[in-house]
Amino acid sequence: MLRIVNRLIQWTGNYKRRIYIGFIYAFIHSIFTALPVVLAAKGLSAVLDDRDGVRTLEGQDIWIMLGAMILAVLGRYLFSYLRAVTQESVGYEATADERIRLGDILKRVSLGFFSENNLGELSAAATTDLSFLEMYAMNMVNTVVNGYITVIVLILFLVFYSPLAGGIALIGVLLSALFLHLLEARSRQNAPVHQKAQDNMVESTIEYLRGMQVVKAFKQEGVSLAGIRKAYSASKRINIKIEMEYMPFNCLHLFSLKAASIAIAAVAALLTCNGSMELSTMLMMDMFSFMIFGSVETMNNAAHVLEVIDATLDKLDGMKHADIIDKDGKDIPLHNTNIEFRDVTFSYNKTPVLQNISFSIPQGGSTTAIVGPSGSGKTTICNLIARFYDVDNGEITVGGENVRNLTCDSLLGNISMVFQKVYLFHDTIENNIRFGNPGATQAEVIEAAKKARCHDFIMALPDGYRTVIGEGGSTLSGGEKQRISIARAILKNAGIVILDEATASIDPENEHLIQQALSELTIGKTVIVIAHRLATIEHADQILVIDKGQIVQKGTHQELVGQEGLYRRFITIRERAEGWSIATSH
Amino acid sequence: MKQKSWISIVFSFASQCRGKIALSVLCAVISVAAGLIPYWSVYQIITFFIDSSPGMAEVWKWCGIGLGAYAVRFLLYGISTSLSHISAYTILENIRLTLAQRLMKAPLGTVIGESVGKLKSILVDRVETIELPLAHMIPECISNLLLPAAVFLYLVYIDWRMALAMLATLPFVLIAFAVMMKDFNQLYADYMESNNDVNGVIVEYVEGIEVIKAFNQSSSSYEKFARAVESFKGYTLKWYQNSWKVMNFVSAVLPSTFLGTLPIGMYLYWNGELTPQDLAMCLILSLGIVGPLMNFTTYINETKAIEYAVHDVEKLLHVEELPDTGTPVKVRSMDIQLQDVSFSYDKEGGQQVLSHINLNIPKGRFTALVGPSGGGKSTIARLIARFWDVDNGKITIGGVDIRDMPLSQLADIVSFVTQDNFLFNCSMKENIRLGNPNASDEEVYAAAKAACCDEFIQKLDDGYDTMAGDAGNRLSGGEKQRISIARLILKNAPIVILDEATAFADQENEEKIHQSIAALTRGKTLLVIAHRLSTIKNADQIIVLQNGQVENIGTHQQLLDSSFLYRNLWEAHIGAQKWSVGSGKGGN
Repeated sequence: MLRIVNRLIQWTGNYKRRIYIGFIYAFIHSIFTALPVVLAAKGLSAVLDDRDGVRTLEGQDIWIMLGAMILAVLGRYLFSYLRAVTQESVGYEATADERIRLGDILKRVSLGFFSENNLGELSAAATTDLSFLEMYAMNMVNTVVNGYITVIVLILFLVFYSPLAGGIALIGVLLSALFLHLLEARSRQNAPVHQKAQDNMVESTIEYLRGMQVVKAFKQEGVSLAGIRKAYSASKRINIKIEMEYMPFNCLHLFSLKAASIAIAAVAALLTCNGSMELSTMLMMDMFSFMIFGSVETMNNAAHVLEVIDATLDKLDGMKHADIIDKDGKDIPLHNTNIEFRDVTFSYNKTPVLQNISFSIPQGGSTTAIVGPSGSGKTTICNLIARFYDVDNGEITVGGENVRNLTCDSLLGNISMVFQKVYLFHDTIENNIRFGNPGATQAEVIEAAKKARCHDFIMALPDGYRTVIGEGGSTLSGGEKQRISIARAILKNAGIVILDEATASIDPENEHLIQQALSELTIGKTVIVIAHRLATIEHADQILVIDKGQIVQKGTHQELVGQEGLYRRFITIRERAEGWSIATSH
Repeated sequence: MKQKSWISIVFSFASQCRGKIALSVLCAVISVAAGLIPYWSVYQIITFFIDSSPGMAEVWKWCGIGLGAYAVRFLLYGISTSLSHISAYTILENIRLTLAQRLMKAPLGTVIGESVGKLKSILVDRVETIELPLAHMIPECISNLLLPAAVFLYLVYIDWRMALAMLATLPFVLIAFAVMMKDFNQLYADYMESNNDVNGVIVEYVEGIEVIKAFNQSSSSYEKFARAVESFKGYTLKWYQNSWKVMNFVSAVLPSTFLGTLPIGMYLYWNGELTPQDLAMCLILSLGIVGPLMNFTTYINETKAIEYAVHDVEKLLHVEELPDTGTPVKVRSMDIQLQDVSFSYDKEGGQQVLSHINLNIPKGRFTALVGPSGGGKSTIARLIARFWDVDNGKITIGGVDIRDMPLSQLADIVSFVTQDNFLFNCSMKENIRLGNPNASDEEVYAAAKAACCDEFIQKLDDGYDTMAGDAGNRLSGGEKQRISIARLILKNAPIVILDEATAFADQENEEKIHQSIAALTRGKTLLVIAHRLSTIKNADQIIVLQNGQVENIGTHQQLLDSSFLYRNLWEAHIGAQKWSVGSGKGGN
């Protein structure tokens, strides 16, 4: 438990000092917590003295008592507030820093990192997990550390009056710590089992929801429900089993503290019987015995939360150690946009994707088409040019410079990419376009939008360029989104354009406009296109035919179509597909 | 609309395990009561010392009783929490299953209109949140409330003024809470919004990382991201700084019961109205209720999150069902008719997607729907498959209103080809056989061959017996899609609906998909939502839709003459086919 708390404190980095100051406030706070008990004992003994005629109780005594009590409560308030302000806020500030740090790291790791850790998990880490940390991190530091600080202060009070009672209290706390430790060990043991049941439940639920349409079409509701029922019932069973396992330790933890309370009361009585303790001290001891362990009692919940926090910190650490791809890169301005692959080999998760690929693309005004069956490595070639990954062997140069020597910024400054899957941000249309060049003026944004054939439909929207994408009423069609993404690339105006030609059919009028937009984008640029369309392939200056990670043919359409080989087969199939029509049914 | 309070909803959930929960509450109450006995014991000991010469035998006796009482307390506490957890998790399971069943019965359109992630989060995460009130709050809050009440009554019995003294701090606490609660709902809603906001930006950041990398901006971090994180931090800090004042005030004042009992008790003694023993008892008891009261406050922070979760779950539990009749009807022909059909997605005054459409889709013929996006093509197709019900008018098949036939019968009649490459977790063979459970192996193989699946299935380790789960990662999207087409071929439904945009997402294997589609649609009543007009130029009937209304109907040739819109679409399509990347450089 203390190990994880310490880990948490280290995690907060620069804010550590504030946590330590918070501990001091917590210490003072616990003195004010003990004070009312001392006062009560004093008051009670004053009453007894009065009864026994030792000293008469005055009205003034009561006023003093009231004043002292108010002071104690105010002191308690003041220091718990001070502690909260110095300590609790650290959680939010440290989490904000962590989020920004994560954002920076994510931008600079290889794209492979995102496929290895699936996107859902990554977003979860940056959202749910960090939110959890934010909410509970300092809460736990408070519960555990300040809880122990309080109990130690109170034990010291006891020791001052009776070392024996203090010793017993200490034994009680140690015993409870032992049970807590066992509880924590159980909790750690159960964590993977619990997680597995949870993952299983999530997986089944998603499958159930995703499959619903097919399930209904084939009337498999029963089977589908049975699957999800199994997952839910397993989750229930495991959760109940885990709770049952915790229960005895929970009870023993509490019982050991309460038994110590009784023992303290017994010792106090014994000592008073012997005459070695004042009656008033005994009264105080008795009262202490009831409240001394209050801060430790609630710690059983902390054990579980801390386990979750530990796992969360592990996950975050894993991300921090991800390889940053351009850590040795330099900012070198490129003088041309020639691209060259020399003997490039690349494998992904130990599966070879590209083998000994060599080719060169001359700069300016040329189009290179990459064609080949799915999974042949076309997209990988493009991703390697942008250095989303690093090659295993060989080298890639852009403008004569090995891409490994460049920072991502200086390399990608020369490349515009248009992806097949359009991704727009939940932001205004203007900002989405300006993303291509943050320094662009509004006139330049509009100019790019005009070139990308977006301007007209944007102006037809009620909020024009201020329209927020994805908000109710402003849902754009697929073709319109595609054109915005092209405007973004036009605004960037980079020398190299990498383009993944869309495969999904879009309605003809949109398709026409998209094509005009793409023509604007590619004027005078070094264009690399993953090509699907016959016309694009036929007009390319250079065609690379990729199959199973190798270049099997290279040349112009005229050259290749005359050869026996993959290219000719490919073209025949494409021709047939583009001219295809559903036959009449009779 | 008046919302039911979340507490009453939680109790209505709890009623599923009424017996166990009642027992759990009973154990909790006895447990808390047992926890009071040690206070009584210590009081007895103190009385001995105050009254007379003490004997250790008495001390031991009362300590023994106190210890025994604690043993009982925690034993019952264990039983109580065990019972409450068993009930809670059973109830969660039931809620999840009920939700799942409810979704199955809801209009399909409603379900696919929501994101899977959001529904999943309600079914799994939100439901999980209800564990806290069920397993902890019901037993613990009830017992923790009963105990101070009992103590209060006992103090009233000793001296009513002492009872009030014990509660002296309560008004301060309540005022503080009232002050905090005044803006709490608004602040919490703002907080949730701010939180969703920052999380939304983060998710967007992760999902759009390719774009962010590709448009790498030299600033140290994507500005919008940093801004969202910073503003969320600022917001939460401001909020907490406010609530800390109150929360810490409460946690400092609420347990300080001595504040009232000590001075007033002394005063009453001074006046001769309270014995020292009773004063001691009052002080000890006022110490005894601190724990339960503080327990109470620990849940206050959680209640808002629970309230949100409970309402989300409740809303989904009452999602509207699609009415389903039980009795199959005789459908004599497969002619589809739309009579005066209107539909809008947003029932409350939303824009109509279709308005007063009349259409005839003759059996055994090939009908195509074309038109600009947003014209209502997909909506018509989905309404025929009854993803939703029409707002107005009716859709009939063979003269029968589709609302008058059981959903299962409609499912038998209509095959909807989607991009969805969903495979069930069984063998390839069984996945195809789902189309017709009575089909022989030979028929399954024939369907697979017709859908161009045979070749790649044979290459799998166990051929047709390969489990979908094992093969899942090795099959391409197009291959999975062909398996689902094989399934539809086997199903052999008389009506086939095809959305071209999604059906041909895999251009690499387009030809194979074309072949399998041809096999599927032969001789059927075929409805195609077309984008690439060359695909449907042979259709028997082409319906041109614009803004939710029928613009024109005819064959390809007829429409080229009569429909300006169609001719434009066709010319754009032909032009598009001839265009190529890089064509801009030549200036054409």
